[in-house]
Amino acid sequence: MDTVLSARGLVKEFKRAIAVDGVDIEVKAGERVALLGPNGAGKTTTLLMILGAISPDKGEVEICGVAQQGNRSKAAENVGFAAGYLPLAGEMKVREYLTMFGEIYGIPDPSKAIAEGLERFRIQHLSEAKGTQLSSGQRTLVGIVRAVLHKPRLLVLDEPTASLDPDVAGRVRSGILDLCADNGTALLVTSHDMLEVERLCERVLFLSAGRVVADGAPSEIAERFGREDLEGVFLHLADENYQHSDFPTSQHTDHIL
Amino acid sequence: MKTQHDPTTPLPPGAARSWLRMRAVSRRHAYVLVRSPHRLFDVTLWPLVDVLMFGSLASFVGTGNASGGKQAAGYLLAGIILWHIVYQSQIAVSTGFLEETWSRNLLNLMITPIREIEYVGGVALFGMAKLVIGVGLMMIGGFVFFSFNITSLGFAVVPIAAVLLLVGWAISLFVIGVVLRYGPGAEALAWGVMFVVLPLSGVFYPIDALPAAVRPIALVLPTTYAFAALRGVVDGEALNWAYVGIAAGGAFVLSLLSFWFLVSMLKLFRRRGYVTRYA
Repeated sequence: MDTVLSARGLVKEFKRAIAVDGVDIEVKAGERVALLGPNGAGKTTTLLMILGAISPDKGEVEICGVAQQGNRSKAAENVGFAAGYLPLAGEMKVREYLTMFGEIYGIPDPSKAIAEGLERFRIQHLSEAKGTQLSSGQRTLVGIVRAVLHKPRLLVLDEPTASLDPDVAGRVRSGILDLCADNGTALLVTSHDMLEVERLCERVLFLSAGRVVADGAPSEIAERFGREDLEGVFLHLADENYQHSDFPTSQHTDHIL
Repeated sequence: MKTQHDPTTPLPPGAARSWLRMRAVSRRHAYVLVRSPHRLFDVTLWPLVDVLMFGSLASFVGTGNASGGKQAAGYLLAGIILWHIVYQSQIAVSTGFLEETWSRNLLNLMITPIREIEYVGGVALFGMAKLVIGVGLMMIGGFVFFSFNITSLGFAVVPIAAVLLLVGWAISLFVIGVVLRYGPGAEALAWGVMFVVLPLSGVFYPIDALPAAVRPIALVLPTTYAFAALRGVVDGEALNWAYVGIAAGGAFVLSLLSFWFLVSMLKLFRRRGYVTRYA
Protein backbone atom coordinates (compact mmCIF):
# COMPACT_ATOMS: atom_id res chain seq x y z
CA MET A 1 0.00 0.00 0.00
CA ASP A 2 1.17 3.56 -0.79
CA THR A 3 2.06 5.80 2.09
CA VAL A 4 -0.05 8.97 1.94
CA LEU A 5 1.30 10.53 5.11
CA SER A 6 4.72 10.19 6.58
CA ALA A 7 5.55 12.42 9.56
CA ARG A 8 8.89 11.78 11.19
CA GLY A 9 10.33 13.17 14.41
CA LEU A 10 7.92 16.09 14.73
CA VAL A 11 8.83 18.46 17.54
CA LYS A 12 7.08 21.69 18.48
CA GLU A 13 7.81 23.87 21.46
CA PHE A 14 5.74 26.91 22.44
CA LYS A 15 7.44 29.24 24.89
CA ARG A 16 8.25 27.02 27.85
CA ALA A 17 6.06 24.04 26.91
CA ILE A 18 6.85 21.18 24.55
CA ALA A 19 3.58 20.55 22.72
CA VAL A 20 4.84 17.77 20.44
CA ASP A 21 7.93 15.80 21.27
CA GLY A 22 9.18 13.53 18.52
CA VAL A 23 5.98 12.23 16.94
CA ASP A 24 6.16 9.74 14.06
CA ILE A 25 3.00 8.98 12.10
CA GLU A 26 2.60 6.95 8.95
CA VAL A 27 -0.75 6.51 7.24
CA LYS A 28 -1.23 4.20 4.25
CA ALA A 29 -3.68 4.72 1.39
CA GLY A 30 -7.23 3.99 2.49
CA GLU A 31 -6.25 3.53 6.13
CA ARG A 32 -8.49 5.07 8.82
CA VAL A 33 -6.44 6.27 11.76
CA ALA A 34 -7.45 8.05 14.96
CA LEU A 35 -5.14 10.37 16.85
CA LEU A 36 -6.26 10.29 20.47
CA GLY A 37 -5.16 11.75 23.72
CA PRO A 38 -6.22 13.97 26.60
CA ASN A 39 -6.54 17.73 26.23
CA GLY A 40 -3.13 19.26 25.68
CA ALA A 41 -1.61 16.00 24.44
CA GLY A 42 -0.52 17.68 21.20
CA LYS A 43 -3.15 16.33 18.77
CA THR A 44 -4.18 19.60 17.14
CA THR A 45 -0.60 20.91 16.97
CA THR A 46 0.42 17.66 15.28
CA LEU A 47 -2.44 18.00 12.78
CA LEU A 48 -1.59 21.63 12.06
CA MET A 49 2.02 20.65 11.39
CA ILE A 50 0.86 17.92 9.04
CA LEU A 51 -1.30 20.48 7.26
CA GLY A 52 1.52 23.03 6.98
CA ALA A 53 -0.25 25.69 9.07
CA ILE A 54 2.43 25.43 11.77
CA SER A 55 6.06 24.68 10.99
CA PRO A 56 7.73 22.04 13.11
CA ASP A 57 10.85 22.93 15.08
CA LYS A 58 12.25 19.56 14.06
CA GLY A 59 11.12 16.72 11.87
CA GLU A 60 9.54 16.46 8.46
CA VAL A 61 6.19 15.77 6.85
CA GLU A 62 5.59 14.14 3.48
CA ILE A 63 2.18 13.94 1.85
CA CYS A 64 2.01 11.42 -0.98
CA GLY A 65 5.78 11.62 -1.30
CA VAL A 66 5.83 15.45 -1.43
CA ALA A 67 7.77 17.13 1.37
CA GLN A 68 5.60 19.69 3.16
CA GLN A 69 8.53 22.02 3.86
CA GLY A 70 9.23 24.02 0.73
CA ASN A 71 6.35 22.46 -1.24
CA ARG A 72 3.37 23.39 0.90
CA SER A 73 1.08 24.17 -2.04
CA LYS A 74 1.80 20.92 -3.88
CA ALA A 75 1.54 18.82 -0.73
CA ALA A 76 -1.79 20.49 0.15
CA GLU A 77 -3.34 19.34 -3.13
CA ASN A 78 -3.68 15.84 -1.72
CA VAL A 79 -5.13 16.79 1.65
CA GLY A 80 -8.54 17.90 2.87
CA PHE A 81 -9.16 19.28 6.34
CA ALA A 82 -12.27 20.03 8.37
CA ALA A 83 -12.77 20.82 12.02
CA GLY A 84 -15.90 21.15 14.09
CA TYR A 85 -14.69 24.50 15.44
CA LEU A 86 -14.15 26.21 12.11
CA PRO A 87 -16.99 28.45 10.95
CA LEU A 88 -18.11 29.20 7.41
CA ALA A 89 -17.63 32.63 5.94
CA GLY A 90 -20.90 34.23 7.06
CA GLU A 91 -21.59 36.42 4.03
CA MET A 92 -21.54 33.55 1.55
CA LYS A 93 -24.10 30.96 0.60
CA VAL A 94 -23.06 27.32 0.98
CA ARG A 95 -22.89 26.84 -2.81
CA GLU A 96 -20.76 29.96 -3.26
CA TYR A 97 -18.49 28.97 -0.41
CA LEU A 98 -17.97 25.48 -1.80
CA THR A 99 -17.43 26.87 -5.31
CA MET A 100 -14.72 29.15 -3.98
CA PHE A 101 -12.86 26.28 -2.34
CA GLY A 102 -13.38 24.01 -5.37
CA GLU A 103 -11.75 26.67 -7.54
CA ILE A 104 -8.94 27.16 -5.04
CA TYR A 105 -8.27 23.43 -5.40
CA GLY A 106 -8.04 24.10 -9.14
CA ILE A 107 -11.40 22.67 -10.29
CA PRO A 108 -12.80 25.02 -12.98
CA ASP A 109 -16.35 23.71 -12.57
CA PRO A 110 -16.84 22.25 -9.09
CA SER A 111 -20.66 22.09 -9.35
CA LYS A 112 -20.67 18.30 -9.88
CA ALA A 113 -18.36 17.69 -6.91
CA ILE A 114 -20.47 20.04 -4.79
CA ALA A 115 -23.71 18.25 -5.71
CA GLU A 116 -22.12 14.85 -4.93
CA GLY A 117 -20.75 16.05 -1.61
CA LEU A 118 -24.00 17.66 -0.47
CA GLU A 119 -25.87 14.50 -1.45
CA ARG A 120 -23.43 12.21 0.33
CA PHE A 121 -24.04 14.04 3.60
CA ARG A 122 -27.74 14.63 2.83
CA ILE A 123 -27.60 18.41 2.99
CA GLN A 124 -28.63 19.37 -0.57
CA HIS A 125 -31.29 21.61 0.92
CA LEU A 126 -28.61 23.85 2.44
CA SER A 127 -27.13 24.81 -0.88
CA GLU A 128 -28.60 28.33 -0.88
CA ALA A 129 -28.34 28.93 2.88
CA LYS A 130 -25.86 31.48 4.21
CA GLY A 131 -23.15 30.48 6.68
CA THR A 132 -24.84 32.48 9.44
CA GLN A 133 -28.08 30.50 9.00
CA LEU A 134 -26.50 27.10 9.69
CA SER A 135 -26.42 25.16 12.94
CA SER A 136 -23.05 23.93 14.21
CA GLY A 137 -23.82 20.43 12.93
CA GLN A 138 -24.71 21.73 9.49
CA ARG A 139 -21.55 23.83 9.42
CA THR A 140 -19.51 20.73 10.24
CA LEU A 141 -21.15 18.80 7.41
CA VAL A 142 -20.53 21.64 4.94
CA GLY A 143 -16.94 21.84 6.17
CA ILE A 144 -16.43 18.16 5.41
CA VAL A 145 -17.98 18.56 1.96
CA ARG A 146 -15.52 21.42 1.37
CA ALA A 147 -12.64 19.21 2.50
CA VAL A 148 -13.43 16.42 0.03
CA LEU A 149 -14.37 18.40 -3.11
CA HIS A 150 -11.02 17.65 -4.73
CA LYS A 151 -11.07 13.96 -3.71
CA PRO A 152 -8.04 14.21 -1.43
CA ARG A 153 -5.93 11.15 -0.76
CA LEU A 154 -5.79 12.11 2.90
CA LEU A 155 -8.71 13.54 4.86
CA VAL A 156 -7.79 15.14 8.18
CA LEU A 157 -10.60 15.82 10.64
CA ASP A 158 -10.19 17.54 13.99
CA GLU A 159 -13.07 16.77 16.37
CA PRO A 160 -15.57 16.37 13.50
CA THR A 161 -18.51 15.39 15.69
CA ALA A 162 -17.84 17.54 18.74
CA SER A 163 -21.12 19.00 20.01
CA LEU A 164 -23.22 17.24 17.37
CA ASP A 165 -26.41 15.36 18.18
CA PRO A 166 -26.30 11.58 17.66
CA ASP A 167 -28.24 11.77 14.39
CA VAL A 168 -25.91 14.28 12.74
CA ALA A 169 -22.85 12.57 14.23
CA GLY A 170 -24.06 9.30 12.71
CA ARG A 171 -24.53 10.97 9.36
CA VAL A 172 -21.00 12.37 9.52
CA ARG A 173 -19.60 8.92 10.34
CA SER A 174 -21.49 7.07 7.61
CA GLY A 175 -20.66 9.76 5.04
CA ILE A 176 -16.97 9.53 5.91
CA LEU A 177 -16.95 5.73 5.80
CA ASP A 178 -18.65 5.75 2.37
CA LEU A 179 -16.21 8.32 1.12
CA CYS A 180 -13.19 6.32 2.27
CA ALA A 181 -14.64 3.14 0.71
CA ASP A 182 -15.54 4.82 -2.60
CA ASN A 183 -12.42 6.91 -3.15
CA GLY A 184 -9.79 5.00 -1.17
CA THR A 185 -9.27 8.15 0.93
CA ALA A 186 -7.11 7.73 4.02
CA LEU A 187 -8.43 9.25 7.21
CA LEU A 188 -6.65 10.87 10.13
CA VAL A 189 -9.10 11.95 12.78
CA THR A 190 -9.00 13.29 16.32
CA SER A 191 -11.90 12.77 18.67
CA HIS A 192 -12.77 12.51 22.32
CA ASP A 193 -15.60 10.12 21.55
CA MET A 194 -14.04 6.69 21.97
CA LEU A 195 -17.12 4.86 20.72
CA GLU A 196 -17.01 6.87 17.52
CA VAL A 197 -13.34 6.07 17.08
CA GLU A 198 -14.01 2.35 17.45
CA ARG A 199 -16.69 2.60 14.75
CA LEU A 200 -14.69 4.77 12.39
CA CYS A 201 -11.06 3.78 12.67
CA GLU A 202 -9.10 0.57 12.24
CA ARG A 203 -5.98 1.97 13.88
CA VAL A 204 -5.40 4.24 16.83
CA LEU A 205 -2.45 6.34 17.93
CA PHE A 206 -2.51 7.57 21.50
CA LEU A 207 -0.66 10.78 22.28
CA SER A 208 0.32 11.73 25.77
CA ALA A 209 2.35 14.81 26.63
CA GLY A 210 3.31 15.26 23.00
CA ARG A 211 4.48 11.68 22.42
CA VAL A 212 2.98 8.64 20.75
CA VAL A 213 2.53 6.17 23.58
CA ALA A 214 0.49 3.52 21.78
CA ASP A 215 -0.15 2.54 18.18
CA GLY A 216 -2.37 -0.32 16.99
CA ALA A 217 -5.89 -1.61 16.44
CA PRO A 218 -8.42 -0.40 19.07
CA SER A 219 -8.88 -3.90 20.52
CA GLU A 220 -5.12 -4.56 20.64
CA ILE A 221 -4.49 -1.34 22.50
CA ALA A 222 -7.26 -1.99 25.01
CA GLU A 223 -5.78 -5.45 25.61
CA ARG A 224 -2.24 -4.13 25.91
CA PHE A 225 -3.31 -1.70 28.62
CA GLY A 226 -5.47 -4.30 30.34
CA ARG A 227 -8.66 -2.27 29.82
CA GLU A 228 -12.02 -3.21 28.41
CA ASP A 229 -12.12 -0.56 25.70
CA LEU A 230 -10.48 2.59 24.39
CA GLU A 231 -12.27 4.71 26.93
CA GLY A 232 -10.55 2.78 29.69
CA VAL A 233 -7.18 3.36 28.02
CA PHE A 234 -7.99 7.03 27.59
CA LEU A 235 -8.87 7.46 31.26
CA HIS A 236 -5.75 5.55 32.30
CA LEU A 237 -3.54 7.82 30.19
CA ALA A 238 -5.32 10.95 31.33
CA ASP A 239 -4.74 9.87 34.91
CA GLU A 240 -1.09 9.15 34.21
CA ASN A 241 -0.81 12.55 32.55
CA TYR A 242 -2.30 14.15 35.63
CA GLN A 243 0.11 12.37 37.98
CA HIS A 244 3.08 13.41 35.83
CA SER A 245 1.80 16.85 34.99
CA ASP A 246 5.39 18.06 34.55
CA PHE A 247 5.62 16.39 31.12
CA PRO A 248 6.38 12.69 31.39
CA THR A 249 9.77 11.60 30.20
CA SER A 250 10.57 8.70 27.91
CA GLN A 251 11.31 6.52 30.97
CA HIS A 252 7.68 6.34 31.91
CA THR A 253 6.03 6.28 28.50
CA ASP A 254 8.29 4.22 26.25
CA HIS A 255 7.42 0.99 28.04
CA ILE A 256 3.87 1.24 26.81
CA LEU A 257 4.80 0.92 23.13
CA MET B 1 -3.22 17.37 -30.69
CA LYS B 2 -4.31 19.46 -27.70
CA THR B 3 -7.04 17.79 -25.65
CA GLN B 4 -9.65 19.80 -23.78
CA HIS B 5 -9.43 19.75 -19.99
CA ASP B 6 -12.33 18.15 -18.09
CA PRO B 7 -13.62 21.12 -16.05
CA THR B 8 -14.71 18.87 -13.18
CA THR B 9 -11.12 17.82 -12.42
CA PRO B 10 -8.27 20.00 -11.13
CA LEU B 11 -6.28 21.98 -13.68
CA PRO B 12 -2.58 21.21 -14.04
CA PRO B 13 -0.20 23.74 -12.42
CA GLY B 14 0.20 26.95 -14.36
CA ALA B 15 -1.22 30.37 -15.06
CA ALA B 16 -4.79 29.10 -15.64
CA ARG B 17 -4.93 27.52 -12.20
CA SER B 18 -3.45 30.60 -10.53
CA TRP B 19 -5.99 32.78 -12.32
CA LEU B 20 -8.82 30.48 -11.17
CA ARG B 21 -7.69 30.84 -7.57
CA MET B 22 -7.31 34.61 -7.80
CA ARG B 23 -10.78 34.87 -9.32
CA ALA B 24 -12.21 32.72 -6.52
CA VAL B 25 -10.71 34.97 -3.84
CA SER B 26 -11.82 38.06 -5.70
CA ARG B 27 -15.39 36.83 -5.99
CA ARG B 28 -15.48 35.88 -2.31
CA HIS B 29 -14.70 39.50 -1.40
CA ALA B 30 -17.29 40.76 -3.86
CA TYR B 31 -19.95 38.74 -1.98
CA VAL B 32 -18.77 40.21 1.31
CA LEU B 33 -18.96 43.76 -0.03
CA VAL B 34 -22.36 43.39 -1.66
CA ARG B 35 -23.91 41.65 1.36
CA SER B 36 -22.53 44.01 4.00
CA PRO B 37 -23.83 47.44 3.03
CA HIS B 38 -21.78 49.19 5.72
CA ARG B 39 -18.64 48.11 3.87
CA LEU B 40 -19.80 50.05 0.83
CA PHE B 41 -19.12 53.24 2.80
CA ASP B 42 -15.41 52.83 2.00
CA VAL B 43 -16.08 53.13 -1.72
CA THR B 44 -19.11 55.40 -1.78
CA LEU B 45 -19.73 57.66 1.18
CA TRP B 46 -16.21 58.41 2.44
CA PRO B 47 -14.83 59.31 -1.00
CA LEU B 48 -17.76 61.68 -1.58
CA VAL B 49 -17.38 63.19 1.88
CA ASP B 50 -13.70 63.83 1.11
CA VAL B 51 -14.56 65.51 -2.18
CA LEU B 52 -17.16 67.68 -0.47
CA MET B 53 -14.82 68.62 2.33
CA PHE B 54 -11.76 69.42 0.26
CA GLY B 55 -13.78 71.01 -2.55
CA SER B 56 -15.55 73.28 -0.05
CA LEU B 57 -12.25 74.13 1.58
CA ALA B 58 -10.86 75.09 -1.82
CA SER B 59 -13.91 77.26 -2.51
CA PHE B 60 -13.50 79.03 0.82
CA VAL B 61 -9.76 79.58 0.41
CA GLY B 62 -10.33 80.95 -3.06
CA THR B 63 -13.10 83.40 -2.09
CA GLY B 64 -12.28 86.79 -3.63
CA ASN B 65 -9.21 85.41 -5.35
CA ALA B 66 -10.26 83.84 -8.64
CA SER B 67 -6.97 82.47 -9.88
CA GLY B 68 -5.76 81.50 -6.41
CA GLY B 69 -9.06 79.77 -5.78
CA LYS B 70 -8.78 77.77 -8.96
CA GLN B 71 -5.24 76.76 -8.06
CA ALA B 72 -6.29 75.77 -4.55
CA ALA B 73 -9.16 73.73 -5.95
CA GLY B 74 -6.72 71.99 -8.26
CA TYR B 75 -4.27 71.14 -5.48
CA LEU B 76 -6.91 70.03 -3.02
CA LEU B 77 -9.25 68.14 -5.32
CA ALA B 78 -6.58 66.54 -7.50
CA GLY B 79 -4.67 65.73 -4.32
CA ILE B 80 -7.57 64.07 -2.54
CA ILE B 81 -8.71 62.14 -5.63
CA LEU B 82 -5.24 60.74 -6.24
CA TRP B 83 -4.74 60.16 -2.53
CA HIS B 84 -7.74 57.85 -2.69
CA ILE B 85 -5.81 55.65 -5.13
CA VAL B 86 -3.31 54.99 -2.33
CA TYR B 87 -6.07 54.70 0.25
CA GLN B 88 -8.42 52.44 -1.71
CA SER B 89 -5.71 50.08 -2.96
CA GLN B 90 -4.24 49.81 0.53
CA ILE B 91 -7.47 49.45 2.43
CA ALA B 92 -8.92 46.92 -0.05
CA VAL B 93 -6.02 44.50 0.36
CA SER B 94 -5.59 45.05 4.11
CA THR B 95 -9.27 44.70 4.98
CA GLY B 96 -9.57 41.81 2.51
CA PHE B 97 -7.05 39.93 4.63
CA LEU B 98 -8.63 41.16 7.86
CA GLU B 99 -11.97 39.81 6.62
CA GLU B 100 -10.42 36.31 6.69
CA THR B 101 -9.42 36.83 10.31
CA TRP B 102 -12.81 38.29 11.31
CA SER B 103 -14.66 35.37 9.72
CA ARG B 104 -12.07 32.88 11.07
CA ASN B 105 -11.50 31.69 7.54
CA LEU B 106 -7.73 32.00 7.75
CA LEU B 107 -7.01 28.39 8.71
CA ASN B 108 -9.40 27.15 6.02
CA LEU B 109 -7.35 29.04 3.45
CA MET B 110 -3.92 28.27 4.89
CA ILE B 111 -4.36 24.54 4.48
CA THR B 112 -5.40 24.78 0.82
CA PRO B 113 -2.88 24.84 -2.04
CA ILE B 114 -3.43 28.57 -2.65
CA ARG B 115 -0.12 30.41 -2.73
CA GLU B 116 0.30 33.66 -0.81
CA ILE B 117 0.92 35.57 -4.03
CA GLU B 118 -2.30 34.16 -5.54
CA TYR B 119 -4.28 35.19 -2.49
CA VAL B 120 -2.89 38.74 -2.45
CA GLY B 121 -3.39 38.91 -6.24
CA GLY B 122 -7.04 37.93 -5.83
CA VAL B 123 -7.68 40.53 -3.14
CA ALA B 124 -5.81 43.20 -5.12
CA LEU B 125 -7.84 42.34 -8.20
CA PHE B 126 -11.06 42.95 -6.32
CA GLY B 127 -9.48 46.05 -4.77
CA MET B 128 -9.06 47.43 -8.29
CA ALA B 129 -12.82 47.22 -8.77
CA LYS B 130 -13.35 49.05 -5.46
CA LEU B 131 -10.79 51.63 -6.48
CA VAL B 132 -12.55 52.28 -9.80
CA ILE B 133 -15.87 52.75 -8.00
CA GLY B 134 -14.44 54.98 -5.24
CA VAL B 135 -12.23 57.16 -7.42
CA GLY B 136 -14.87 57.24 -10.17
CA LEU B 137 -17.42 58.62 -7.71
CA MET B 138 -14.92 61.23 -6.54
CA MET B 139 -14.29 62.35 -10.11
CA ILE B 140 -18.02 62.67 -10.69
CA GLY B 141 -18.50 64.47 -7.35
CA GLY B 142 -15.64 66.87 -8.10
CA PHE B 143 -17.15 67.71 -11.46
CA VAL B 144 -20.78 68.00 -10.31
CA PHE B 145 -20.18 69.98 -7.11
CA PHE B 146 -17.08 72.02 -7.97
CA SER B 147 -16.76 71.88 -11.77
CA PHE B 148 -13.38 70.23 -11.32
CA ASN B 149 -12.52 67.81 -14.10
CA ILE B 150 -9.44 65.75 -13.30
CA THR B 151 -9.31 64.37 -16.84
CA SER B 152 -8.42 67.88 -17.95
CA LEU B 153 -4.97 67.21 -16.49
CA GLY B 154 -4.46 64.70 -19.29
CA PHE B 155 -2.47 61.49 -19.45
CA ALA B 156 0.22 62.93 -17.18
CA VAL B 157 -1.90 61.69 -14.27
CA VAL B 158 -1.65 58.06 -15.41
CA PRO B 159 1.98 57.32 -14.40
CA ILE B 160 1.45 59.20 -11.12
CA ALA B 161 -1.65 57.09 -10.44
CA ALA B 162 0.26 53.89 -11.26
CA VAL B 163 2.99 54.75 -8.74
CA LEU B 164 0.39 55.55 -6.07
CA LEU B 165 -1.38 52.25 -6.73
CA LEU B 166 1.90 50.40 -6.16
CA VAL B 167 2.54 52.34 -2.94
CA GLY B 168 -0.96 51.44 -1.69
CA TRP B 169 -0.33 47.75 -2.29
CA ALA B 170 3.11 47.94 -0.67
CA ILE B 171 1.65 49.55 2.47
CA SER B 172 -1.05 46.85 2.62
CA LEU B 173 1.58 44.08 2.55
CA PHE B 174 3.30 45.79 5.47
CA VAL B 175 0.01 46.07 7.37
CA ILE B 176 -0.79 42.38 6.80
CA GLY B 177 2.69 41.48 8.03
CA VAL B 178 2.15 43.48 11.23
CA VAL B 179 -1.27 41.86 11.80
CA LEU B 180 0.26 38.40 11.30
CA ARG B 181 2.89 39.23 13.87
CA TYR B 182 0.84 41.07 16.48
CA GLY B 183 -2.63 39.67 15.93
CA PRO B 184 -6.01 41.38 15.86
CA GLY B 185 -4.79 44.19 18.13
CA ALA B 186 -2.79 45.59 15.22
CA GLU B 187 -5.84 45.94 12.96
CA ALA B 188 -6.15 49.67 13.64
CA LEU B 189 -2.94 50.11 11.69
CA ALA B 190 -4.83 49.35 8.46
CA TRP B 191 -6.55 52.73 8.75
CA GLY B 192 -4.15 54.54 11.04
CA VAL B 193 -1.10 54.22 8.81
CA MET B 194 -2.84 56.31 6.14
CA PHE B 195 -3.25 59.23 8.55
CA VAL B 196 0.51 59.22 9.01
CA VAL B 197 1.44 58.91 5.35
CA LEU B 198 -1.05 61.55 4.12
CA PRO B 199 0.38 64.67 5.78
CA LEU B 200 3.99 63.53 5.35
CA SER B 201 3.51 63.00 1.60
CA GLY B 202 2.61 66.61 0.91
CA VAL B 203 -0.61 65.57 -0.76
CA PHE B 204 -1.98 69.12 -0.72
CA TYR B 205 1.15 71.25 -0.21
CA PRO B 206 4.89 71.21 -0.92
CA ILE B 207 6.81 69.51 1.85
CA ASP B 208 8.56 72.81 2.55
CA ALA B 209 5.37 73.65 4.40
CA LEU B 210 6.03 70.84 6.87
CA PRO B 211 7.93 71.47 10.11
CA ALA B 212 11.65 71.05 9.47
CA ALA B 213 11.86 68.15 11.91
CA VAL B 214 9.63 65.86 9.84
CA ARG B 215 10.83 66.90 6.38
CA PRO B 216 13.53 64.18 6.25
CA ILE B 217 10.79 61.55 6.64
CA ALA B 218 8.78 63.15 3.84
CA LEU B 219 11.83 63.10 1.59
CA VAL B 220 12.12 59.30 1.71
CA LEU B 221 8.45 58.66 0.88
CA PRO B 222 7.79 57.89 -2.78
CA THR B 223 4.36 59.51 -2.47
CA THR B 224 6.03 62.88 -1.79
CA TYR B 225 7.53 62.91 -5.30
CA ALA B 226 4.35 61.63 -6.92
CA PHE B 227 2.28 64.46 -5.41
CA ALA B 228 5.00 67.03 -6.21
CA ALA B 229 4.75 65.89 -9.84
CA LEU B 230 0.96 66.16 -9.63
CA ARG B 231 1.11 69.75 -8.39
CA GLY B 232 3.34 70.63 -11.32
CA VAL B 233 0.74 69.21 -13.68
CA VAL B 234 -2.03 71.13 -11.88
CA ASP B 235 0.04 74.32 -12.36
CA GLY B 236 0.03 73.61 -16.09
CA GLU B 237 3.64 72.49 -16.30
CA ALA B 238 4.89 69.44 -18.19
CA LEU B 239 5.06 66.24 -16.19
CA ASN B 240 8.27 66.14 -14.13
CA TRP B 241 9.56 62.72 -15.13
CA ALA B 242 12.45 62.99 -12.69
CA TYR B 243 9.96 63.12 -9.83
CA VAL B 244 7.94 60.29 -11.33
CA GLY B 245 11.13 58.24 -11.72
CA ILE B 246 12.14 58.80 -8.09
CA ALA B 247 8.58 57.98 -6.96
CA ALA B 248 8.50 54.80 -9.09
CA GLY B 249 11.93 53.69 -7.86
CA GLY B 250 10.92 54.39 -4.27
CA ALA B 251 7.63 52.54 -4.72
CA PHE B 252 9.50 49.57 -6.15
CA VAL B 253 11.96 49.48 -3.24
CA LEU B 254 9.09 49.91 -0.76
CA SER B 255 7.24 47.00 -2.42
CA LEU B 256 10.31 44.75 -2.16
CA LEU B 257 10.79 45.66 1.50
CA SER B 258 7.10 45.13 2.29
CA PHE B 259 7.10 41.79 0.50
CA TRP B 260 10.19 40.68 2.37
CA PHE B 261 8.62 41.81 5.65
CA LEU B 262 5.39 39.94 4.88
CA VAL B 263 7.22 36.73 4.00
CA SER B 264 9.28 36.99 7.20
CA MET B 265 6.17 37.56 9.31
CA LEU B 266 4.38 34.66 7.63
CA LYS B 267 7.30 32.37 8.49
CA LEU B 268 7.16 33.60 12.08
CA PHE B 269 3.38 33.15 12.07
CA ARG B 270 3.84 29.49 11.10
CA ARG B 271 6.77 28.93 13.42
CA ARG B 272 4.97 30.30 16.49
CA GLY B 273 1.63 28.73 15.62
CA TYR B 274 -0.23 32.05 15.63
CA VAL B 275 -2.91 30.54 13.38
CA THR B 276 -4.55 29.22 16.53
CA ARG B 277 -5.48 32.84 17.36
CA TYR B 278 -7.96 32.62 14.53
CA ALA B 279 -9.25 29.07 15.01
